[in-house]
Amino acid sequence: MLAEVPSATVVGVDGHRVAVEVHVTRGLPCFSVVGLPDVSCREARDRVRAALVSSGFEWPMQRITVNLAPGGVPKTGSGLDLPIAVGVLVASEQLKPEVLADRAFVGELGLDGSIRPVSGTVPLVDVLRSHEVVVPAAARHEAAWAGECRLRPIASLSSLAGALRGEHDWPSFGSDPGPAAPIPTPPDLADVRGQPTARLALEVAAAGAHHLLMIGPPGAGKTMLARRLPGLLPPLGPVERLEVAKVHSAAGLGIPAGGGSSPPFRAPHHGASMVSLVGGGSAHVRPGEVSLAHRGVLFLDEMGEFPARVLDALRQPLEEGAIRVSRARASVEFPAQVLLVGATNPCPCGGATGSSGCRCSTHARSRYLRRLSGPLLDRFDLRILVDRPPAESVLGGEAEESTESVAARVAAARRRAAERGVVANRDLGDKGLDEHAPLDAAARRLVVDALADGRLSARGARRVRAVALTLADLVGDEPPLTLDHLASALALRVELASMVEASA
Amino acid sequence: MSADGRCGVDDPPEVAWLLCLASLPRMGPRRLDGLVAGRDPASVWSDIVAGARRVDAEVIRRCGAEWTAVRTGWVTAAQGVDPASVWEAHRGRAVLDRTGAGFPARLVDDPEPPAFLVVEGTLPEHEPVVSIVGTRRCTGYGRDVARSLGRDLAEAGVVVASGLALGIDAAAHTGALEVDGAPPLGVVATGLDLVYPARNRHLWEQVAARGALMSEHPLGTAPTRWRFPARNRILAGMADAVVVVESHAGGGSMHTVASALDRDVPVLTIPGPVTSPASAGTNRLLVDGAVPVRDIDDVLTVLGLSGRRRSASMAADPARVEVPEAGLVVLGALDATPTTVDTVALRTGRPLRALHAELVELERRGLAAQEAGWWRVSPLGQLAAAVESPS
Repeated sequence: MLAEVPSATVVGVDGHRVAVEVHVTRGLPCFSVVGLPDVSCREARDRVRAALVSSGFEWPMQRITVNLAPGGVPKTGSGLDLPIAVGVLVASEQLKPEVLADRAFVGELGLDGSIRPVSGTVPLVDVLRSHEVVVPAAARHEAAWAGECRLRPIASLSSLAGALRGEHDWPSFGSDPGPAAPIPTPPDLADVRGQPTARLALEVAAAGAHHLLMIGPPGAGKTMLARRLPGLLPPLGPVERLEVAKVHSAAGLGIPAGGGSSPPFRAPHHGASMVSLVGGGSAHVRPGEVSLAHRGVLFLDEMGEFPARVLDALRQPLEEGAIRVSRARASVEFPAQVLLVGATNPCPCGGATGSSGCRCSTHARSRYLRRLSGPLLDRFDLRILVDRPPAESVLGGEAEESTESVAARVAAARRRAAERGVVANRDLGDKGLDEHAPLDAAARRLVVDALADGRLSARGARRVRAVALTLADLVGDEPPLTLDHLASALALRVELASMVEASA
Repeated sequence: MSADGRCGVDDPPEVAWLLCLASLPRMGPRRLDGLVAGRDPASVWSDIVAGARRVDAEVIRRCGAEWTAVRTGWVTAAQGVDPASVWEAHRGRAVLDRTGAGFPARLVDDPEPPAFLVVEGTLPEHEPVVSIVGTRRCTGYGRDVARSLGRDLAEAGVVVASGLALGIDAAAHTGALEVDGAPPLGVVATGLDLVYPARNRHLWEQVAARGALMSEHPLGTAPTRWRFPARNRILAGMADAVVVVESHAGGGSMHTVASALDRDVPVLTIPGPVTSPASAGTNRLLVDGAVPVRDIDDVLTVLGLSGRRRSASMAADPARVEVPEAGLVVLGALDATPTTVDTVALRTGRPLRALHAELVELERRGLAAQEAGWWRVSPLGQLAAAVESPS
């Protein structure tokens, strides 16, 4: 007898529907799984048999064939255990075929018949949203992130069978708010004393989605500043929230801390491998840190210490907002729309304040900065110096502006960008800049002078213009852009090349 | 060899053997001098090829425990050298023998003269020479000063000599090349065919084209640590005065200073901020009695040339400078040592975005200078601030 059970598997960060077909017929007792299962999927045979037997069901001593359709999509993970078990029960007539109507199943089985959570619950439930989805009880909070879905959380195979047969009601897990994940208080900008340039740069970065590079000695507060950036970004909308939840769920990390509506913040260490940063892996292609920071902030501390190869791999995702990871068996695309924040020391000793306090040789210094230079550096519209704040400003009495009031200006600036048809000013192309960011005479002269001095490249001039437009948006100025806007935009773009030359 | 010292087609002259000897490993000017003292370089060379058995006892004594290793190195290297091809490689370059024509008169009487010089370009003969030396890790202030000093001295007909290193050396020659004045002189510590540091190639070529380059090493000599202090003695020996622009305490410029003092060459220095490590060495020299330099006139006075030129000082005429009203406060908050915009904002209390525009305006008028986000007042700005200040 044949049974077909709807389920799904994760490819990259997206769910793909899988029809689990179970055929039970006479013949020598045998249990085979076909249809591109991976190792953990093939192991399902042993788990399913043990789980059925320990839950008091009968194992059919017949020929059992399981086909995972469509045959072309590689199936990964143990989430297909439950649909296979349900399929065997229906095909061996221990459950009625009606129980499969409009119902999909996702879950891993324990040998004792318990149903365990699997990674990727959010994308799995998302793709099955037209059905009532039976999910592991322990994954019910994660599954709820998929939005409006009919969920049937269940903890064990025997209670599932009881509910399906109508012997008892579906177990209720109430509407408890989930494991009381302590929502960390996001760090507030009001805690930052002094550092007016860095504050302005954060505000501009948040408003225009401009990538930011901070250059400064250890202890200047670069990490502290970067952590305050997610709080300035507009909160995630429902669509974005689902995207973020899918990536985190597919990576097996559950739901990002902070309740999921605040933009994620990821700060991988510079020892991170290429695969952990951009995603990949041979058996199960997992999203990397860049994708985990999707719709949020990717912070690379000590950027000069990252291997050049790893930094180079970031260029494509920064340009396209997505990463395509190709492996022999599959090619998947991960989302990667990040706001990149880099931090670096000015030189190996970190002591270069001005051009005098550094103990490094010229050669060491230029080599250090050269590691950052090139195409990746080009992506940073904002490059600022962050120095240790002077003592008087650290102890200064007046409270600084809070995250809340800065975020309000950022939101207003984003609205103006939306009127131009882009999410943020970073996305404005040449044509958009010409249309929305005209320069007045004085501003034009400043740019022309900087171009003539060689302080700006042609590309740099365009980026400065985009930043100047964001600066204007933040204070509500209408175009044309004036000298003030351009002067600030230039001041927020320190030329690293001249830091090398400074010692030549 | 012809009278002008240029290599000819005839048999290798005496200086060719010196070139061969100097190309041996661990051969410094002092050892070379000891080897050929009172002897014919050709016979010294054939002795070394044969196993270095008749080497001057004084040389062996000074080598001490190293002698065995030094000798083995010499003999092995010498056996692989073909003197004719060494000579051939120098064809077309001026190789000046200490006893021959064209050798700089100032170095003939030097306590440690080079045995020979390889020269490109034309050496200065009668012009006064000032060596400008200083740290490679200089500040913007040091670079500005070295550059204007180099420019003004060249304009006043004084040959600017330097080592073509990064930092102060490069700045001094850059300045000297900006005007159509006295030809620059570069004294380098490698063979003339090896540009070191490579980043200064353009400057190196400019100096060779408009003035002269000299080296006491045969072509092909790579940069080695000890050659730089040794080179500095030639910089001191060639000079009528040595100006140290910026030097860290114990920096390499102190070798030049010591050599200058040995040769009774006056040492002048540029005073720097007491807080700047790059000026620690020069300020120390001031305490020890070096002559402070405020502008080129101080240098010309030491050279006995004070009448030659009334300089307009290192800055321009303050009377011509206009400071915008709003910029005056900002100008007052800038130092000669670079500061960040944040510090300026704190000092002036001005909002950051207004400050950006004011700084740009000051920079445009040449009153302030910016380098990689670090702002400082320019020499012109300092004058302007002094003139405009209400006190």
